[in-house]
Amino acid sequence: MTRPLTRRDFLRGVGAAACGAALAGCAGSVAPAEGPASPLRARPHPQADAWASRIGLAQGAADPAAGVRTAIEKLCGPGGVRTFVRPGDRVAVKPNIAWAQGPETAANVSPEVVAEVVRLCLAAGAGRVKVFDNSVNPASKSYEFSGIEAAARAAGADVAVCARHRFRTIRFDDPRVRNLAEWPIYEDVLEADVLVNLAVAKVHNLSLVTLCMKNLMGVQGGDRAKMHQDIHQNLADLNVIVRPTFNLLDATRVMISGGPTGGRPDYVVRADTIVCGTSAVTVDAWAADPANLPWPKGHHDLAAVRHIALGAEAGLGTADPSRIEVAA
Amino acid sequence: MTPESNPRAHPLHAARIAVQLAVLLLFLVLLVLTARGTAVADRPWLAKLFLASDPLLLAGAALAGAFTVALLWALAVVALSLLAPRAYCGWLCPLGTLQDIVDRLLFRRRPSTVALWAMADGSGYGGQVRRRDLSAIARRAAADRSKNAAPHLRQVKVGLLVLMLVVALFGAAAYGWLDPNSIMTRSFGAAILPMADSAARAGLVAAERAGVPGAAGAYDWAVAHHLLAQDTDLKEGSRYLAVTWGWTFTVVLLAILLVQGYQRRFWCRNLCPLGAMLGLVGSVSPLRPRVSSACVRCGRCAEECKMGAFEPGPAETPYRGVVQECILCYACARAMCPADAIGIRFGSPRPLAPARGVCPSRRAMLGSAAVGAVLGPAMLLDRRAREKRESNPMLRPPGALEPDGDFQAACVRCGACVRICPTNALHPSGVENGIAGLWTPTFIFAIGACDYRCAAKAGDAGGSANLCGIVCPTGAIQKLTQTEKAEWRIGTAVFDRSRCLPWARGEECLVCEEQCPVAPKAISHETVETANNDWLALDEDQRYRYEQLQAKRTAEGLTREEEAELAAMPPKTRPLALPHVLRDRCIGCGVCENVCPVDGPSGIRVERLQTGATGWGGRGKGQGAGPGPRARRGRGGK
Repeated sequence: MTRPLTRRDFLRGVGAAACGAALAGCAGSVAPAEGPASPLRARPHPQADAWASRIGLAQGAADPAAGVRTAIEKLCGPGGVRTFVRPGDRVAVKPNIAWAQGPETAANVSPEVVAEVVRLCLAAGAGRVKVFDNSVNPASKSYEFSGIEAAARAAGADVAVCARHRFRTIRFDDPRVRNLAEWPIYEDVLEADVLVNLAVAKVHNLSLVTLCMKNLMGVQGGDRAKMHQDIHQNLADLNVIVRPTFNLLDATRVMISGGPTGGRPDYVVRADTIVCGTSAVTVDAWAADPANLPWPKGHHDLAAVRHIALGAEAGLGTADPSRIEVAA
Repeated sequence: MTPESNPRAHPLHAARIAVQLAVLLLFLVLLVLTARGTAVADRPWLAKLFLASDPLLLAGAALAGAFTVALLWALAVVALSLLAPRAYCGWLCPLGTLQDIVDRLLFRRRPSTVALWAMADGSGYGGQVRRRDLSAIARRAAADRSKNAAPHLRQVKVGLLVLMLVVALFGAAAYGWLDPNSIMTRSFGAAILPMADSAARAGLVAAERAGVPGAAGAYDWAVAHHLLAQDTDLKEGSRYLAVTWGWTFTVVLLAILLVQGYQRRFWCRNLCPLGAMLGLVGSVSPLRPRVSSACVRCGRCAEECKMGAFEPGPAETPYRGVVQECILCYACARAMCPADAIGIRFGSPRPLAPARGVCPSRRAMLGSAAVGAVLGPAMLLDRRAREKRESNPMLRPPGALEPDGDFQAACVRCGACVRICPTNALHPSGVENGIAGLWTPTFIFAIGACDYRCAAKAGDAGGSANLCGIVCPTGAIQKLTQTEKAEWRIGTAVFDRSRCLPWARGEECLVCEEQCPVAPKAISHETVETANNDWLALDEDQRYRYEQLQAKRTAEGLTREEEAELAAMPPKTRPLALPHVLRDRCIGCGVCENVCPVDGPSGIRVERLQTGATGWGGRGKGQGAGPGPRARRGRGGK
């Protein structure tokens, strides 16, 4: 026979549950980290070392999705995405969705590029593809206006805006890191098997260009404005810790003025270029070179983009254009 | 009292409770649904249903010269009150319902307790409590605790109404401080809802951290449906709470609810200016509480009515109902009167003069009006100063009427704009701009920035672009198109060179320029050779060595070792980007102030600096715009 639940029983139950929850929370926080290795679960690309100075390039394709496929096949061979996505993998795709602007201003990655990457990952057998960015403008508006939310969802990805409590503070324990001690990084980035970095090519008022290395700021929480004091070194530090499996740069159109916000279609020029590689530094070194993309005259030379050089110094890739092996 | 506990209750009594709960629920659902602005752009009336139908706001706006057609919905409530005096208070007003709920939950003794006390003190029950007695005791327990003491307090609300409307005549919409719909919108929108949001979020986050299955999904669902705030959009720590005044609004609401421990519906009978107004309107209604000649003068109605709407008639005549006080709650009809003498019935609309002290005397009315006539101008003494841009610190929402005096005449301080601002940038002001400006909206850019496209939809340049203008019930904040909003000047950003990192400390930064949403950007930079902090940190002898090597290099050239030594030393100067505001492009949206990484007051702040060419005081208008009436009303753009 069951006794009716009294108030006392109820409060006791709630108390026990709360204690349990608190203990569970503590248990989570004191669990030992799995060795001093990378705080990211994401695997490096199997050829990461061999292809450290190699990029895949697609130029002149009017269709961004075709450009994505071509560039990946140039780099990875006919295996394409299957060279780094295994069946059942959790794939995190981090496009630039920072600004609440439409595709015509090229402030964010083209929705077609994101959708194609999602489709390729799913076709390679990925169990789940998550698409997200810690937007600078209000997130749901950025997701909506950029067209990325709709396109990625239609391609089969899970799209959700970031939540502040899901950032976990990660210690930047690596001898190559010079400035940053720790930073909150988004959970889905830490837990993915494969991390795909999707950047868009823009000029930037402080770091001169924003490409793959700068794009990774979208996995950071906390006060990102505090990244901008000595930004080049800070970006190199971030890239030492957060190492994407694969980087792809959408330069189908390039923002040549007013970056990184832009906001006007006349700041955008077509370049019909997709670049990809296993090293963000190498991809950026090729893309930042004024010889390769239509950067405005006199805006910068490659040597001035110090975060690329600093990244190469940390062994993340090559900053020397003559050593970059272009598979086109 | 539920019908089960009182089989004799009037059927409209239960209907009234049902309507009350439904309307309160509607208020709360609309509050949550429209809080994030998602449902509002297409259906703005959702967000101002209660405010736009408030006759006090209509009367006040008309007197203050800030009439807008949207407020004509209030005529429906006036018509209702002509027929059914103060039914609005008894059936519809969310603040009234909230008071009834609090009274029911906190202040009514349970019948069993009362019966036990009665048994204990042996007052006539002799240990035998029958069911019928219990019901009687329950009714007694529900009766007013003050036994309707201090009926003369009731005239205060009429005095407040007169006073506030006279003040409105001088151009200060201060009646918004006391309007019940304004109180509800303000306290729920800017205090209770953010607190509930934080509590719900904390619960879901704790559940998620504890690994409760489904908790993470529930959180995502709630955020995706805009039931919870999207917290990465808010500056860390900010939670929609009106930081400066949120707790004050909570305390005011709690005071209104808890003073019922002394007297039920204390606010409604003694203080509410809207209630006073509807009572006066309803004075001519044919429907009113009536006591027939069957009255046995037991006085129970006068003691039990929660509005104190019954009073003894002149000697040996029946009791009578006071039409200005009755809220048609139907608790009296059938249930209260042992002689069945009370009914809410149609009949002669001729008002009976209530007893002395229940309605204000002519002298009291004139006195209130006189106080208002002194207070109004006194509150607005500094109006000239406030309307001068140079001395008005308020950063008003985009679309706010101009000059500021016009804005203050129209703004009813309901806080609807504060509630809906998606970045939590709008907050109620204090008395920085004079007592008359209390709780009018102002920006706190350290907490949030004015979103360039807050109401815009993807690929759509039409429609209204500012949520605050869409929800403002009185048009104090006008709706702006996307183009108008993009040009509306809230203020102008100005660098504080003693705090801005590049200017003050020689560190690189430029976050303000990076995020400036104006195209082309209103902040630019110049790269200059400036002192290198690393060189300045060298010891005196190292600096001497550096200078020596430099001089030698110019004069005769250095050896290889010396070149290496010099290269290892930090250079004396280095290039540094120094930011500047381009006045003509800046719209004062506050993004720069909001994102500035300097802890404490930002290195760049938006102020009400003159924005046009020197000598032109225009704000929100292009140079040379004529001072026509349209321009004076503060329409943005050219």
